[in-house]
Amino acid sequence: MNPVPTDGGPGAQGAAPVLSARSVVQRFGATLALAGVDLDVRSGEVLGLVGANGAGKSTLMAVLAGLLAPTEGRVEIDGSAVTLGTPAAAAAHGIALVPQHVETALVPELSVAENLVLDRIARGELGALPSRRRIRAEARAIAGEELLERAGIRLDDRAGSLRTAQAQQLLIRRALHRGARVLILDEPTAALSVTEQRELHAQVRRLAADGTAVVYITHHLAEFVGLADRVVALREGRVVDEFSTPIEPARLVSAILGPIEHLPDERPVREAGDAVLSLRGLRVRADAPTVDLDLRRGEVLGITGLLGAGKTELLRQVVGAEPLVDGSMTLDGAAFAPEHPADAIARGLGFVPEDRRRDAELPEWDLVRNTTLAELRPHRRFGLLSARSERAATAALIRSLGIVAAGPRALLSSLSGGNRQKVVVARWLAAGSRVLVLDEPFRGVDLGARADIGALIRSSAVEAAIVASSDPEEILEVADRIIVLADGAVAGEFRPDELDEASLAELLVASTEKDPA
Amino acid sequence: MTTTSLADRLRDGVYRSGLLVLLAALIVYFAVTLPAFGTPRNAVIILQSVAITAIIAMGVTISLTVGGFDLSVGSNVSFVVMLTTAAQVYYEAPPVVAVLIGLAAGALIGLLNGLLVVVARVPDLLATLGTMFVFAGLALVLTAGQSVSSGSIVSGEPAPGRITEPFAWLGRGVVLGLPVPVVVMIVLGVVVTVMLSRSRLGRLLAAVGGNADAARLAGVRVGRIKVTAYVLSGTLASVGGVLLAARLGRGDVGVGGSYLLETVAAALIGFAVLGANRPNGFGTLVGAVFVGVLLNGLTMLNVPYYTQDLIKGAILVGALVMSFSALFKRKDAS
Repeated sequence: MNPVPTDGGPGAQGAAPVLSARSVVQRFGATLALAGVDLDVRSGEVLGLVGANGAGKSTLMAVLAGLLAPTEGRVEIDGSAVTLGTPAAAAAHGIALVPQHVETALVPELSVAENLVLDRIARGELGALPSRRRIRAEARAIAGEELLERAGIRLDDRAGSLRTAQAQQLLIRRALHRGARVLILDEPTAALSVTEQRELHAQVRRLAADGTAVVYITHHLAEFVGLADRVVALREGRVVDEFSTPIEPARLVSAILGPIEHLPDERPVREAGDAVLSLRGLRVRADAPTVDLDLRRGEVLGITGLLGAGKTELLRQVVGAEPLVDGSMTLDGAAFAPEHPADAIARGLGFVPEDRRRDAELPEWDLVRNTTLAELRPHRRFGLLSARSERAATAALIRSLGIVAAGPRALLSSLSGGNRQKVVVARWLAAGSRVLVLDEPFRGVDLGARADIGALIRSSAVEAAIVASSDPEEILEVADRIIVLADGAVAGEFRPDELDEASLAELLVASTEKDPA
Repeated sequence: MTTTSLADRLRDGVYRSGLLVLLAALIVYFAVTLPAFGTPRNAVIILQSVAITAIIAMGVTISLTVGGFDLSVGSNVSFVVMLTTAAQVYYEAPPVVAVLIGLAAGALIGLLNGLLVVVARVPDLLATLGTMFVFAGLALVLTAGQSVSSGSIVSGEPAPGRITEPFAWLGRGVVLGLPVPVVVMIVLGVVVTVMLSRSRLGRLLAAVGGNADAARLAGVRVGRIKVTAYVLSGTLASVGGVLLAARLGRGDVGVGGSYLLETVAAALIGFAVLGANRPNGFGTLVGAVFVGVLLNGLTMLNVPYYTQDLIKGAILVGALVMSFSALFKRKDAS
């Protein structure tokens, strides 16, 4: 897609691009993270960047901030190609990134003043033995008396004691002092209070008015209203759409998710029985509204919502991975209060976590040991584990789930993503779990494996299941009933055959609309 | 990797069985060049020289399996040696009681390590470094810095008890032609190896060491497993301490200190055995025996004793390079 000259916002009109990506392609091994992205950032504009998980936002930012050298294509500054490759090179060209986790950009043990001038000390600009007074004076000049006063920042405090908003302000000041013309803010409001958010928005507008280009990334789409001059949507490593003011969050959601294709065949929607698992008064966070849910026998309950809606937070409480923030649960009519995943497993729950690599895999173990981990007792003979029994159980599951592997003794790391996910699901079947809770089970999973896992979840081997995904299409494939979660609240409920794109998009941003920001 | 070249297979073979082949080659070489080496009597001497090290190293192996590291085993040995001998010499404890006190002390040291790591959340290395210091010090405090032997003088008077024959038998006795420590080594070596490789507990220990987050979500009570690992490590170290006290027949101050490096070396050399690339019981035994064979043979070749640490260190570094470089290679390939 070619850069379209749009009538941007107030500051962007007709300005020449200061920073551009030209046909940028980024490959990680076999994964194509960016599939030819063209992007222009103009002086004096606030450019919003949106996309689902894995759409390529972070990769694109890393390329623009010099953290990654693109596989193909180039980055241009003021119209001429440059090689960034390192953050220092990007800084020299006036590009600065303020990361989402601001603490990663600071050395917590050093003072605020030392952090502000750290790059200058490193370059030797302050001499071999800079005096405390010199450091303080330089730092004061960078931060500005007014900010230190207003935000109550003391230069001698340890940087580790700064609040997120304070650290963020200091990083922005430091970047501007170094002559940044392009400021990239990655999820800047994720850890800010409402007041701090408002202040940041005002500041971003001021910076743009002064001619700085600001690239702004957030998943709180309502933030863009009144803030961004232009919003670019990424999907599957491509720029798929571009919006100018007025920004409508519901249209952004549609762009992020892409067209939802209704299922071609009439999949029977099963009528569910009595409640297996009931949640009453749960909260995804202490300050979130309460959530009441019933999972009924014989159904697959889909939960969808944008990134940050609270799906993972909710599911991890249900399976005992995190303590309940509030409320209570019942399972099969009896009180259910798991204090450890083991308690939930003993009651017949199985949990497929969102981050498979970190939370489920033992990559250097073979399939047998990965499969039997959650329940080893049935494989004991005379106190020792029977290799034959474990192997037989695993081989049966490999067959019934269609896992492609060299055999039961193949290492998990030798399998493709989809097959690894099948092994994680097999672990719960091997443990005799009746109720499955799956968080983003189709991420990084090929279509074939996705269909197999979907069929398994809907089979009689599973009594009931909860499937959460930020991709409504995945949910439509497997769910009998769909709950939409927005900002920790249940925003709506659908049957898969009544779902339409427009109303879903509206529900997904439902509670962000009400955001005071 | 279906089409492996001959060179690849050769490299894989060297890597998998390199240490065992090297051990066999050493034994053959020494046996041919040194008439005194290849005798059953010398084999027993070698095994006896590594028995206590191997037993303690099994414990270190368990702590390594959960991704931890027990640095306190040497001090544990020192403390148990003083405790068991002092109990008999100062307080006339019967040998059985003295042994039980020693083993209980070792288990408690392990429990303390485990609680420091799991409850107080001190990193493994630092927690056991701390207790290493504490119990080395406590071993001295116990006897006011004095060595303990039959007839020691306490407050101007001879101590009432003494190290009895049944106790000394643990260190010097012979069963079926083998010294008692060697028999204990073989029994515990088999038990620990089978426990680690074939039991549910062993699987859970390895799961915690492999990916603690994944293990927890699969229902493994990670904290309890870690504490169990340290208790086992502490107990095995105290078995070593009891046998050492029995062999020496007295309580010498700081006698356990050297066991830390020896046992860690044996366990780490064990990583390279059969291409396991992780702590394993059989590998640890081979590691201990390997060092014993080499030192025994070299001593017979009149290599001076003061080169021993240098040789052990060189073997350790070589074995580590072997297992970790292979580990990296495998990661790159995937």
